[in-house]
Amino acid sequence: MKRAALLAAAGLLLLSGCYRVQKPAQAQPGAAGQATPVDRGDGKTLRVFIWSEYIDPDLVKAFEKANGVRVVLDTFESNEAMLAKLQGGGAQYDLAVPSNYVVQTMVRAGLLQPLNKSELPNLKNIAPGFLNADYDPGNVYSVPYQYAATGLAYNRERYVPRDTWAEIFGPEDRHSFVLLDDPREVIGAALKYLGFSANTTRVEELRAARDLLRRVVAKKGFQGFDGGPGTRNKLLAKTVDLGQIYVGDLLIATEEDENVQVLLPRQGTTISMDTLVVLKRSPNPALAHRFIDFILDARSGAQLSNYTYYATPNAAARPYLDDFLKDIPALNPPAAWLTDGRLDFIGELPAGRPQRLYDRIWTELKSR
Amino acid sequence: MIRRTHPALSAWAWLVYAFLYLPIIVLVVFSFNDSRFGATWAGFTTKWYGVLFARADVREALAHTLEIALLSTLVSTVLGTLVGLGLWRYTLRFRTALTGLLVLPIVVPDVVMGVSLLMFYSFVRQGLERAGWTFDNGFWTVLLAHVTFQISYVALTVRSRLAGYGPELEEAARDLGASGWESFRRVVLPLAMPGVLAGALLAFTLSLDDFVVTYFTSGSGFSTLPVLIYTNVKRGVTPDINALSALLVLVTVVAIVAANALLRPRRDA
Repeated sequence: MKRAALLAAAGLLLLSGCYRVQKPAQAQPGAAGQATPVDRGDGKTLRVFIWSEYIDPDLVKAFEKANGVRVVLDTFESNEAMLAKLQGGGAQYDLAVPSNYVVQTMVRAGLLQPLNKSELPNLKNIAPGFLNADYDPGNVYSVPYQYAATGLAYNRERYVPRDTWAEIFGPEDRHSFVLLDDPREVIGAALKYLGFSANTTRVEELRAARDLLRRVVAKKGFQGFDGGPGTRNKLLAKTVDLGQIYVGDLLIATEEDENVQVLLPRQGTTISMDTLVVLKRSPNPALAHRFIDFILDARSGAQLSNYTYYATPNAAARPYLDDFLKDIPALNPPAAWLTDGRLDFIGELPAGRPQRLYDRIWTELKSR
Repeated sequence: MIRRTHPALSAWAWLVYAFLYLPIIVLVVFSFNDSRFGATWAGFTTKWYGVLFARADVREALAHTLEIALLSTLVSTVLGTLVGLGLWRYTLRFRTALTGLLVLPIVVPDVVMGVSLLMFYSFVRQGLERAGWTFDNGFWTVLLAHVTFQISYVALTVRSRLAGYGPELEEAARDLGASGWESFRRVVLPLAMPGVLAGALLAFTLSLDDFVVTYFTSGSGFSTLPVLIYTNVKRGVTPDINALSALLVLVTVVAIVAANALLRPRRDA
């Protein structure tokens, strides 16, 4: 599989640490990370490495105009592919948008530079629940960009489910469903249904999830694993009752058919935060900081969500969201969910046994 | 008398063609679908072609793709042809080993090739930085990478084209008074030409749709069409990409028809 190959490639690059370009004297400004960043580049071009269709082009234009600069956007299709390319050192980017679970990997690989908070006054707009998360304590290297909870999607012309994972993981087998083609999401949802953390490393909890999933994929209603766009199309075409999907990937389809909807099951679910980071080799760190602060602005934050249909961690942005988005519970989970353990960031697994257990469960499900 | 083909055989042939062409037909049809997601048919529209032409990133990626494909094909055809001729003409001590080395870039998985080139470039960059130089990956690194894998294809097609001929043809030309250049120009090259053209065509196609190697060796701000399209997969490919693919198919078909018309043997000859 392509993803596995890319992962192997990323690993290869990590091993080849000796190839990493060591920056001589002009290294990053101040190890404490509080010195004002200075642009070594021309200060006129900002290079951003980001997921496709993940930023409103008008927002980019506004930033270009306000600062008299040019913004170059390059896209990647998986965290692993982004990592492999950055570790090769061939591409000079100022900013990247990794998901939370790779932030620490990037820190360890020496790819990131500490953020200078004094350049980011708008950081105060972020809801406190999204700051200081486990993936980056103190937000030393990253600030939240947009996030996606994983929800249960349906087409209300075909079937309206209750707000529980039991619709998929429960004992009855009356409805057809698709699961996300991602090990951590599928095993994570099963763990949430059982009342465990989606990041558990306890063997007995993982065994329980495995036994549950064995039964689930043996159901008549199980229609296979699929990614966001595939599941979305099946729901639009009404060929399936239920789909596990990233909320944002589904909501964009409401532009075309408002009967497709998504909910967050009451047991809680997994969330994945995409973050903004400044790369260590960034030629224009000062400009990069200005861009981050621009994104953290209340109106920019709302404009992002209005375009991408992903949820915003920006509390100040809420009033500027399109009315339609304000009314969707799946986009605005109750604040309490963040603290009562119902929303789990998909975190990095410790290498070794837990990692192998997740791998083994997934291999078994896929090779069934 | 013309023998009739067995009906089962022709049915099979139709099936093979359907298997090859149905996906392309679906793709073209859906470029006229008035739905952003293409899950269902929502009516006929040509708006995606308008959307496509308004996209600066697509235009830029298309230009990059064609520049790289044309230039890398030119370079690799010249170099590859020379390699192929050399392997055919000279009895080299390590000929088997050399041929093996030529096959290697063809059999090595793209990912390995991409990553090793990426590492190679950063190795070179490291050396240059010591001397106070630096470079970004971009046009030149992608061009070199493409030439690297294209050479093998050209060299092997040229060599296999010439495999049936012995050195005596060239010797005869020399006996009849041709200079080294003349015997190459009037005897060897015309013989090798079909191989050269086939190799060039192969090289061009390979460059045009290469994703993995290009992804790893390109830098910031330099994207080709395959890279642009592939990175769209995460949120779903939009119909304007269908429109683009439909246009590419159209251009290819026109080019093939034109080439066939031009290359048809002249009757008056």
